Amino acid sequence: MALEVGLDRLQRWMQAVIVHPGLVEDALAAAADEVPAQRLGEVILPSRTLTPAERLDVYHGMYLLRMEEALASDYPALKHFLGDEGFFDLVRDYVQVHPSRSFSLNPLGYRLPEFVKTASGLERPDFCYELAQLELAVAQAFDGPETARLGEAAIAAVPPEAWEAARLAPVATFRLLSFRYPVNDYLQTVLDDDHDHPKARLKDQWIAVYRRDYVVYRLDLTRAAHDLLAALVSGRPLGNAIGEALKTGGKRAPSEHELFRWFRQWVSVGVFQSVETR
Amino acid sequence: MFNRFSLPDLGVGIGLRTVHFGEILAKKPPIDWFEVLSENFLDTGGRPLYVLDQVAERYPVALHGVSMSIGSTDPIDFAYLGKLKELARRTRAHWISDHLCWTGVMGRNTHDLLPMPYTEEALRHTAGRVRQVQDFLERPLALENPSSYVEFAASSISEWEFLARLAEDADCALLLDVNNVYVSSFNHGFDPAVYIDAIPADRVVQFHVAGHTNKGTHIIDTHSDHAIPEVWELYRRAWARTGPTATLYEWDEDIPELSVVHAEALLARGHREPQRATGTHGA
Repeated sequence: MALEVGLDRLQRWMQAVIVHPGLVEDALAAAADEVPAQRLGEVILPSRTLTPAERLDVYHGMYLLRMEEALASDYPALKHFLGDEGFFDLVRDYVQVHPSRSFSLNPLGYRLPEFVKTASGLERPDFCYELAQLELAVAQAFDGPETARLGEAAIAAVPPEAWEAARLAPVATFRLLSFRYPVNDYLQTVLDDDHDHPKARLKDQWIAVYRRDYVVYRLDLTRAAHDLLAALVSGRPLGNAIGEALKTGGKRAPSEHELFRWFRQWVSVGVFQSVETR
Repeated sequence: MFNRFSLPDLGVGIGLRTVHFGEILAKKPPIDWFEVLSENFLDTGGRPLYVLDQVAERYPVALHGVSMSIGSTDPIDFAYLGKLKELARRTRAHWISDHLCWTGVMGRNTHDLLPMPYTEEALRHTAGRVRQVQDFLERPLALENPSSYVEFAASSISEWEFLARLAEDADCALLLDVNNVYVSSFNHGFDPAVYIDAIPADRVVQFHVAGHTNKGTHIIDTHSDHAIPEVWELYRRAWARTGPTATLYEWDEDIPELSVVHAEALLARGHREPQRATGTHGA
């Protein structure tokens, strides 16, 4: 005999069981407000080979595996650092707090760095946080809108006297990041399948993440280059930003030669999309 | 017999998958058509959309979704449908399909194709939503029969009767996945031939064929292998009822080289009536 359960209640109950982080028996007990666990057989029929709970467990078991697979594709280095079990535990805890609410799995991991920062029982949360920040920037650059990059013709069209007040706009996928740990080096060793991973010890890194021709790049920067780029992408005029870099840089202040080299590199790799001279 | 929606037989296609992007763009293989997993292209401005634009220039495409959640008791997500409609326009998709299922409630998405109870209440509920979706999309929606691992005690209608009545009540199209019929028949102990014979053939606009994983106690619809002969036999049986109908081979896990997936898809031609076999589009 079937238990009278309306469609809305049935779906609430089944979802609660499926997304529960524990064993299916615990999930059924936790969802007993909707359907008493002892009456499961009045909602789900057994098959020739499986009990109702075992049948539900097919869905229950696949849920976390699917979430783990989605997050692992965006956070391969974090998974490598934590190990399979550690990463799975992190995913299990994360999706309880931040489950998918989108038609797409793309945004599922957007809040993982913040979650990692305060997650309990995590090995080296400070390192993990920065690693996750970098991997999120890469994932977001992958899906960001494609914008044209600044070309030689646009540069040549700027009168020499207009450069001081010119403002450079970065491509839409551009992200500027600073770290206290060598997370960019760590990510690279994971991507290269190189087993000589850097230790999670303090070592500053400044990184620009951007996409060109649908490929995401990570550009290592010096601190002075990072600070200058930060000033430029915040909308400050070129002359003002360079003047600030020379004045406050102290020993790290760039030489004219360095400035020329940086700009040549940034333009050639596609960091900027336009120059505005008004 | 052709389908009542006059949607074309596109021939034998495969799913557009990331691992094959480079080869498809470089070699432009002679594949009849591609099925596109809608959600992978709705919220990205990156390479996937760039590749899709190239593919849609050269090949016929159809959109296949996994997040419409047509059976859910949550409100219909019209923002999602708006993006879907735009993607269909952009790619000149021949049709849009999704599954007879729900994927979540209370604003959540489990990203699984969860089964419906086959009740009169669920039938009324789902048919009303299909009509709303079709009105919004301004085209018929093709609904796919799911693979399922549970049966609800409350179900008073068989799955095939539910699908047939739903298609009639909502005036929608059907995507008949013969592997799903086989998987569910194993898991629930029904005769798959009865299912195939009960589907309104004139509403079937597409077939899916795929491999699965037999766990002994149950079968999981993994799309990770070659189709077994029993599944091809169901395809042959169904095709004899529908006539020329677009067919798609699904391979989503442990995906082999493009040539292997395509070769598996082309096996479908051997199961079609020879006099009705269609030519190759695309290349």
